[in-house]
Amino acid sequence: MVKFVESELSQLKREVDQMWTLVYNQLEQSQSAVLDLDRTIAQQIMVRERRVDAFELKIDSDVEDFIALFTPVAVDLRFVLAMLKINGDLERIGDYADGIARFVRDTDMETMDPELIGRLQVKEMFEVVLKMLGELQEALRTEDAAKATAVLSMDERLDSINKASASILADYAREHPEAIPFCLGFGGVFRKLERTGDHLTNIAEEIVFYVDAKVLKHKELNG
Amino acid sequence: MEKIEAKEVNFHYGDFHALKNISMEIPRNKVVAFIGPSGCGKSTFLRLFNRMNDLVPGARLSGKILIDGKDIYAPDVQVDELRKDVGMVFQRPNPFPKSIFENVAYGLRVNGIKDKEFIAGKVEEALKGAALWNEVKEKLNASAYALSGGQQQRLCIARAMAVSPSVLLMDEPASALDPISTAKIEELICEMRDKVTIVIVTHNMQQASRVSDKTAFFYMGEMIEYDDTKLIFTNPRKEATQNYITGRFG
Amino acid sequence: MDRPTYPEGYSARKRRAQAAAFAVCRILSLLIVLILFAILGFIVIKGAGVISWDFLTKAPSDGMTSGGIFPAIVGTLLLMLGSAVVAFPVGIMSGIYMNEYASKGWVVKFIRLMTNNLSGVPSIVFGLFGMALFVKYLGFGDSILAGSLTLGLLSLPLVIRTTEEALKDIPAGIREGSLALGATKLQTIWKVVLPMGMPRIITGLILSLGRVSGETAPILFTCAAYFFPQLPTSILDQCMALPYHLYVISTSGTDIEAQQPIAYGTALVLIVIVLIINLLAGLLRKHFEKGLS
Repeated sequence: MVKFVESELSQLKREVDQMWTLVYNQLEQSQSAVLDLDRTIAQQIMVRERRVDAFELKIDSDVEDFIALFTPVAVDLRFVLAMLKINGDLERIGDYADGIARFVRDTDMETMDPELIGRLQVKEMFEVVLKMLGELQEALRTEDAAKATAVLSMDERLDSINKASASILADYAREHPEAIPFCLGFGGVFRKLERTGDHLTNIAEEIVFYVDAKVLKHKELNG
Repeated sequence: MEKIEAKEVNFHYGDFHALKNISMEIPRNKVVAFIGPSGCGKSTFLRLFNRMNDLVPGARLSGKILIDGKDIYAPDVQVDELRKDVGMVFQRPNPFPKSIFENVAYGLRVNGIKDKEFIAGKVEEALKGAALWNEVKEKLNASAYALSGGQQQRLCIARAMAVSPSVLLMDEPASALDPISTAKIEELICEMRDKVTIVIVTHNMQQASRVSDKTAFFYMGEMIEYDDTKLIFTNPRKEATQNYITGRFG
Repeated sequence: MDRPTYPEGYSARKRRAQAAAFAVCRILSLLIVLILFAILGFIVIKGAGVISWDFLTKAPSDGMTSGGIFPAIVGTLLLMLGSAVVAFPVGIMSGIYMNEYASKGWVVKFIRLMTNNLSGVPSIVFGLFGMALFVKYLGFGDSILAGSLTLGLLSLPLVIRTTEEALKDIPAGIREGSLALGATKLQTIWKVVLPMGMPRIITGLILSLGRVSGETAPILFTCAAYFFPQLPTSILDQCMALPYHLYVISTSGTDIEAQQPIAYGTALVLIVIVLIINLLAGLLRKHFEKGLS
């Protein structure tokens, strides 16, 4: 066993996990910001976005170092490649949380119609996305490909909520022309969450890509 | 028909079971790498292809090794004829104490070729093929020992290629060389693959992954896995292979 | 782990021990050189006086109290040549056989043991054996032929041994490189192995010649003539030889006063011949080594 390679790899995994928690919190906060129309929270999210970006760069350069210094192959290569890609996906999700926070900051909340918000299922959209994000974090921690695969089907729910929201917002805008800017902005929130879902399915695939080699490793152990 | 076929090869040195029931096929004009820890049998296996193990006392072989469909251990096979067609490059450069020219001409001369012009042409072609011509064309009559280690190894490759073999066996050909000489040898391997089938034993994982089309992993006399090099180095099927190539061995 | 406490002053002590040991080695080597020069000087001083063109080119005369030693010089050279003709081909081929062809079993071990024993046998025994076999049984009589054969036998172990050792040191990779090109074993030995072993084999041969040139006992009963002033005309003739001549005039001389300088002169010529041979050997060896590098 090459201990120093192992410790490099687990260090990298720990960093990605920390990044993950950070992004999860950002998204959770953006949910509160939207649902409670809280500009203070939005402001905090925008400040923390810089930390997410810095973290992404750190992981990027750590992966680069690892590849240059240890020239990994097989399972190690798959692992660092997965970490690199997941890192990129997480950073984009962080961007979306930031985008949502900016929407909250820039929107005139007086124009909001609580009845409209209720119909849009924005809370459920957030909950599905956060659930996916949490499940996948757990899937990576436990190297559970099945758990990661299970998340894939949840993406359909996001697509349908997003689709429904588009027509609801369009209808509402037609009846209330003064709310058009708000409707466009709010549509943006849905699109961002929908895109987050896409990144999450990517992450799920990365986890399977990496864990597959591992699973095989365990199968061969006895045979 | 594949270039080389090994069928249920078992090899013993006295009581030691060095190769255990190995079957594999090596396709024509491809580069196949043998990897594995020291003493795993990969060199022993390689040396069966040109019957270099014939002289080892107490050695026993069972199974068949076919080259171009012909059993090279059949009683009617003359070993010097076989070796004319199956060249070999060794771990340490082993030029003869002769001039550069005579080193390359040696294989032709010992096989009865006397035509001076033909020999001169072949020597030039082989030296060019080994990317050595420009470095030595002014001093073909100088001793081969005056060359650097890397040049000596390329001379040995030229020497092997001068007799136009259809198979070239390379037993850790770059393990005694510096990185630049190693890179040159690897480049040669890639250029020669059109002309010959190359089987290379190496301890350098990256060398195997860079130059070979297929890779075989040997461990304790068994061939654990044999597959496309890409697969071996991205997603090997066996635990032992993965542990070896990622350096988690033992 | 604690750091070991190194004993005080140990490093100075071990350096002193080294200096002392090397000093002893140096003094002993110098002593050897001194002794060698003393012997040489003694012989040169005592013998140089009689050396002249006549001494080298004339036969002894007046009951070996005057004249030269020409027949003895020629005889010694002939015997060296003869023994070389006998011992070199046989010895080199045996060495090749033992190192290259024979399977490394008890046969080779036995032959090696026998050759080692042979080299330990006193030279007078070779002389007796040569007399019994060549002189009497084969009927060669006292002759250059019988003497050469006996001296050849004497130098055989050394030739075999040095050939074998020279070949053993040639890396296996060189042989494999040749075999891998489709060369046969004979081609490999002839074109690669022998040329590489040549410098050392030649050294062995020359050493054996040096030994042969100085041997008295083996030719005592097989070849050497007490007095045979004309030059031999066939290999069945007897001949004179320098060491035997030296022996004769020093032990059974009739006129010590006159013969002593001749004896020293003879010794000087013998030594010079050996030196010349060694010098030639060195040049030859250099020549072959140059071919290799």
